[in-house]
Amino acid sequence: MPPGGQTPPEPRVLTTRRSGVDRAFRSVSGASGAMVLIIMTLVGLFLGIRAFDAISDAGFSFVTTQVWEPDGGNFGIAAILSGTVFIAVTAILIVVPLSLAVALYICEYAPRRIKRTLISLVDLMAAVPSVVFGLWGFFFLQNHMIGISRWISTYFGWIPIFSVDGSDPDDPLSTATVFTSSTFIAAVVVAIMVAPFTTAVMREVFSQAPIGEREGAYALGATKWGMIRSVVLPFGKGGIIGGTMLGLGRALGETIVVALIISPIFIIQPQILQNGANSVSALIALRYGEATPFGTSALMAAGLALFLITLVVNFAASSIVARTRSGASTNE
Amino acid sequence: MGALGVSRVNRFASTGRRALAAFASLALLAPLGVIAAPAAEAESYVPVSGAGSTWSQNALDQWRRNVNQYGMRIDYQGTGSSDGRNQFKNGTVDFAVSEIPYGLKDNNVVDAPPQRGFAYMPIVAGGTAFMYNLKIGPNRVTQLRLSGETVAKMFTGVITKWDDPAVKADNPGLTLPAIQVVPVVRSDGSGTTAQFTAWLASEQSGIWNNYCAKVGRATPCGQTSNYPTQTGMVAQSGSLGVSGYTSQEQSVGAITYVEYSYAKNAGFPVAKLLNKSNFYVEPTAEAVAVGLLGAKINPDLSQNLSGVYNNTDKRAYPLSSYSYMILPTAVEGAFSEEKGRTLGDFASYFLCQGQQQADALGYSPLPINLVKAGFDQIKRIPGVDTQNININNCNNPTFSTDGTNTLAKTAPQPAACDAKGPTQCGTQAAGGSGGSSGGSGSGGNSSGGGTTGGGSAGGTTGGGTTGGTTGGGGVVEPVVDPVTGEITDASGGEVVIDEATGEIVAVGGDVAVAETGGGGGYVAGIPVSTQASAGWGPYTGLLLAAFTVLLALLFAPPLVARSLAARRAGSPGDDSTPSGGAT
Repeated sequence: MPPGGQTPPEPRVLTTRRSGVDRAFRSVSGASGAMVLIIMTLVGLFLGIRAFDAISDAGFSFVTTQVWEPDGGNFGIAAILSGTVFIAVTAILIVVPLSLAVALYICEYAPRRIKRTLISLVDLMAAVPSVVFGLWGFFFLQNHMIGISRWISTYFGWIPIFSVDGSDPDDPLSTATVFTSSTFIAAVVVAIMVAPFTTAVMREVFSQAPIGEREGAYALGATKWGMIRSVVLPFGKGGIIGGTMLGLGRALGETIVVALIISPIFIIQPQILQNGANSVSALIALRYGEATPFGTSALMAAGLALFLITLVVNFAASSIVARTRSGASTNE
Repeated sequence: MGALGVSRVNRFASTGRRALAAFASLALLAPLGVIAAPAAEAESYVPVSGAGSTWSQNALDQWRRNVNQYGMRIDYQGTGSSDGRNQFKNGTVDFAVSEIPYGLKDNNVVDAPPQRGFAYMPIVAGGTAFMYNLKIGPNRVTQLRLSGETVAKMFTGVITKWDDPAVKADNPGLTLPAIQVVPVVRSDGSGTTAQFTAWLASEQSGIWNNYCAKVGRATPCGQTSNYPTQTGMVAQSGSLGVSGYTSQEQSVGAITYVEYSYAKNAGFPVAKLLNKSNFYVEPTAEAVAVGLLGAKINPDLSQNLSGVYNNTDKRAYPLSSYSYMILPTAVEGAFSEEKGRTLGDFASYFLCQGQQQADALGYSPLPINLVKAGFDQIKRIPGVDTQNININNCNNPTFSTDGTNTLAKTAPQPAACDAKGPTQCGTQAAGGSGGSSGGSGSGGNSSGGGTTGGGSAGGTTGGGTTGGTTGGGGVVEPVVDPVTGEITDASGGEVVIDEATGEIVAVGGDVAVAETGGGGGYVAGIPVSTQASAGWGPYTGLLLAAFTVLLALLFAPPLVARSLAARRAGSPGDDSTPSGGAT
């Protein structure tokens, strides 16, 4: 309550005397924040330095070569990086509708009784180790996916990415192995692993859709689906995109699942149902152990490429999420 | 043995906690009585870690479990021989297991030996087998025969169909289908690959070099740990990866190279490989032992296998080899004398008693000269207990009084129908007139529990139809009717198929088996059905309890959290989305 006086009101200078606890907390949290940046920089530096040998040796052909024989001097990431992208994109195409539906159901349709349980269960999926998913995919799922793969390739084989060389639906003796260890099967397992993360982001954003607008939509006679379409989804657009990008970042880097399932090949193969796939992280996991020093350097170079791509994807994701979380889009 | 028992009790009693275990293990240890009494000081063992080969991992894992009762903890990661050698070089593990030594040229790069002191010690012998998944109609083929050239052509993409004339020539008794050949190779750096490609480079160099040129490797390309792939091949990581892939239902037409024990564990057949005497032989313990009589052992104990590839013994399996442990010989880095003592005791165990199990596990025991040489290597480990081991108490099946290899000496001669020619064991003899029939000589899987060895009854050339019975082994699928062997006299030149069981049935009998009476183990790895469950044992209860705990862990936290939240809120309808409070 300012005293009413003659002197013109002068803003009071606020000084804060921080207590020792406050200072300690600020420095600790500031340091941990900085640490993240420092670690990321150091990882990038480390990869860059270790990769220097290989990149300087290969030059521009590192980006265009499809072979991986570092000890023979002939290597490049064209096939591996494109394989990584094929797996990640396929996984994202599977995971987005799935996560969207799960998030919407949990937020809007699920009865209150089971809502929390559902949330915990979805979060629990994130806690399953990836090697478990990998073994399950390899020993169980693969066998059961062949029928789907064959059906798609039989009826949609005229689309180039769904065609499978060596499969002949009219030949009962044609081997089913052409459908195994494919980009598609690896992507399905990766999608299942990524789903909890994308679902969590989407659910969080959907649950923040303003109640006033929800009720406004109802008041104007909208059905529940109409309300979701006109309020929740537009409001959550940023969350959907952000969750997708986060999932993409994870899918790009998924290692052990891919390494267990795929049969590594070193050609660009966009036929996702066909046997043979590859990814940078799986290549590193399979080859780092026995690599020569130069081979290690080549693997580091591949890792650096993946690191940069993942960084871009994650920055894009976080900036989108940050822009929408504030609720700025409420008044659109 | 008395001395041993007493010393064991002393050791365990002095640690106090394990007195009970000592009593329990006393009875178990007494008859083995080989690890000599250690000195009076009775420290406990320290954990030792190793990495490397998956080829010999099945044997190593069994031995590791066995020495657990002595308090030894041996960690082993089957990450592939190349990785094992590299990890040992970098000092991250105490020992490595590898099929090939350091210093070999792979794809024009020499694998340099490590700076730290090391020694090679053979640990077990075995055969690199060709496990396959092939069906004729609904029936699994179990009697496939392959020549070296055919194998080389399959793994280099020259032969692409199972009905290729070359395969037919090897298998006159089989009507092979026009299924695609799918070679399954290793995607990681592997000693199995190195063994296989060393054989290819040595024996089938023309085919192998052509392939290398085709996939863009420098020729002559010699042996390599990383198999170069091309379209149509499948690459999987680890021995378990390739054997697991091959044994899956959809992988009909697949063939892979893997140590015999993996095929045995998967319950899948392996190909009989043609040796220099024109006999088709399986990688049984005996055939491997015979084959390795031709091995030349270098002064550092590494192996020269060209004599094995060209062994002219009729019983020899050509792709036999030894697997090696790379031991540290100096205290460096993380390796200490205590670790040396543990590692030395472990090595003494498996060089001696461990070899008894080699056959059952799908390997072949070491001969006496290598066991002796191995003990000399153990003595070079720093900190090791120099034990006065009486090697004759090892009960190693290869040992004899006159220094010859008993296992190889007593190995059965191959059956006449296994010779290269128009007859083929286990299939209808071409143009057979009489109703020759016999039990399929399916030897029981001796490692499985409750095995009743394969009945090799029959085998007569008369008109009698006798069925062999396949007993229950420890193998799960595919399930085969236990009463196989119902055979009728079919027209000549065709495979006789038992409609009731879905197995290709041996006609003509496995004569040699019947004659030598060597029944079991002749053809291992044939799928057999499991025995019926033994009922409600203590393990079933434990299993259920563990399952319940797991379920509780999964579902209890959310349920408890919910009920707590409900109680705290006190009123219904509080359990809403965060937006609920924004009105």
